[in-house]
Amino acid sequence: MTAVPATEPAPLLRVRDLHVTYGVRAGAIPAVRGVDFDLAVGETLGLAGESGCGKSSLAGALLRLLPRGAQVTGSVLLDGEDVLAMRPGRLRAVRWTELAIVFQGALHTLNPVQRIGRQMGEAIRLHSPAVRGAQVSARVGELLELVGLPARRAQDYPHQLSGGQRQRVLIGLALACEPRLLIADEPTTALDVMVQAQVLRLLEDLQQRLGLAVVFITHDLSTLATVCKRIAVMYAGRIVEEGPSHEVFEAPAHPYTRALAAAFPVIGDPAFRMAPSGLPGDPPDPRELPSGCPFRPRCPAAVAVCSSTAVELWPAGPRRQAACVHVPGSGVAV
Amino acid sequence: MSLLGVSDLHVTFSGRGGVARAVDGVDLSMRPGEILALVGESGCGKTTLARTIVGLQRPAAGSVSLRGEPLRYDRRALRAHRREVQMVFQDPTGALNARQTIYEAVAEGLRIQGVPGSEEQLVAEALSRAGLRPPERFFARYPYEISGGQRQRVIIAGAMVLSPSLLVADEPVSSLDASVRGEILALMLRLVRETEVAILVVTHDLGLAWNVADRVAVMYLGRIVEQGSTEDVLTAPRHPYTRALLSVVPEIAHVAPQVLVGEAPDPTRIPAGCRFHPRCPLVASGEAARLGIEERCRAEDLALAPVADAADLLVACHAVAGAVVPA
Repeated sequence: MTAVPATEPAPLLRVRDLHVTYGVRAGAIPAVRGVDFDLAVGETLGLAGESGCGKSSLAGALLRLLPRGAQVTGSVLLDGEDVLAMRPGRLRAVRWTELAIVFQGALHTLNPVQRIGRQMGEAIRLHSPAVRGAQVSARVGELLELVGLPARRAQDYPHQLSGGQRQRVLIGLALACEPRLLIADEPTTALDVMVQAQVLRLLEDLQQRLGLAVVFITHDLSTLATVCKRIAVMYAGRIVEEGPSHEVFEAPAHPYTRALAAAFPVIGDPAFRMAPSGLPGDPPDPRELPSGCPFRPRCPAAVAVCSSTAVELWPAGPRRQAACVHVPGSGVAV
Repeated sequence: MSLLGVSDLHVTFSGRGGVARAVDGVDLSMRPGEILALVGESGCGKTTLARTIVGLQRPAAGSVSLRGEPLRYDRRALRAHRREVQMVFQDPTGALNARQTIYEAVAEGLRIQGVPGSEEQLVAEALSRAGLRPPERFFARYPYEISGGQRQRVIIAGAMVLSPSLLVADEPVSSLDASVRGEILALMLRLVRETEVAILVVTHDLGLAWNVADRVAVMYLGRIVEQGSTEDVLTAPRHPYTRALLSVVPEIAHVAPQVLVGEAPDPTRIPAGCRFHPRCPLVASGEAARLGIEERCRAEDLALAPVADAADLLVACHAVAGAVVPA
């Protein structure tokens, strides 16, 4: 990754050389293999990729929510302080108040036998000791209204809410302690199209109103293009392309991004009519990555040097980078 | 002659919440070798309609017929029907038996139906037609040894081995990765070209319809509310519900998103009048009142009707019907 000029303000989040490896003893499975990115205050970054590309492991690593067997190295600097090096007490304080996460599958995250208000109140009491007594239920009502639900919904049990409403509750819960960074891991994947649009609109609105920084993770590149300013595309544990979202979506520099973008047809565009587009093959097994570029076996633009050149993110235009020997900044003769 | 005919079909379920009219008066027909996309939100009844067409669900009223012959619900007739009408389910991992080899999975249908001929040859043909080549390499493998995309190909091979005339595919690519999705859709197009099979694709994904479907039917609360060629329905939709659905597709940047409030409503309480009126932007904005049709929107139920300026397009909307002078 290129150095950030000294004139820019220090980012809210700075991730450097992040690695996540599972099952170190029984034969290592590298899930994230060296990821760098910065996120400014109030900025939105979309992280796109398919199952197994490492995007959820990356999200888990940012909050240190990964299972015990996962080995995480590198640094996750939140306002200059390394999350990976925090003591448990400090980490508890930072989660919720500084960074919070919304998962997919809202159905399973809420306790089915507790009223919504009680669950939200518990989180508030636990993480904002200053809020007490009647203030707690007032805050619950405030949060529900923030996410577009009437305050009286606090009396409901999770099963009385629809999928979209439960996802709203979870977003409200994540915002309970006014974090500055929200990580949304496939927050709309299990939802219906129309409800998906409602939740996306809510997230966009909250992001702008509260000045939230958001890392938005999904496999759906087209959703990211509408919600995020910047997009990073992951493949086999690494970022392979990064840049302003509309440029990345409309004029991808990496052949993998091109294939992903083409997989979401533009309705009305004759180029996509009766012409579904996909990629042959499947993502590589992380234990047996091919030599050179890991995308090479599926790449329609692969040339001989791809099997011998270690790819890295090269400049691919203003504020853009891509890990492909074909980008002008690679300097690799193809 | 049409291959599939669905006429005034009703399917109901009774439960604690009362009687759910999951399919509430559907008429539909399909020609051999065509791909029809049935689209709508979850709970609109599209999966129930699909299951009823396959014969997995009995209708409360109305009929499903194949080449003009109404489906009867005795065992022999159902077995014969299922040989011709095969279902492909959403989740290929759940649909395959983890302890069965690929060969056994594909051969199962042949055995149930007692198809004569060389089983091994038929299985090999079906696998290679589904893009799993050379087929012998897959015979002894288990589902966990192959990828998600390959599993969906096995499911399709298992359906195609019986040479059906209609495949009913319920969200066939929604559990697959984006890059694999296109390959499976391309396979469906190839199967239609090579075998004249017709495919009914049940999906919430309008992009998928644009990719493969000849026609689109939009379902809302148990009824089809708009139906026609893919070009007509997806590029010049007439029904306000179709318009709203299209406006929230992220790729269509030039349309102002019309996010409907509330979620798909309850099939146990279908509203009177046009079933879409409580969520209809035309009613909410006062446009229906201005057109002088609001009373009818609230009180008068309506069926699909032809539109004057688009052949084969059918729409169930008072505003659309009201704008047209009958010939």
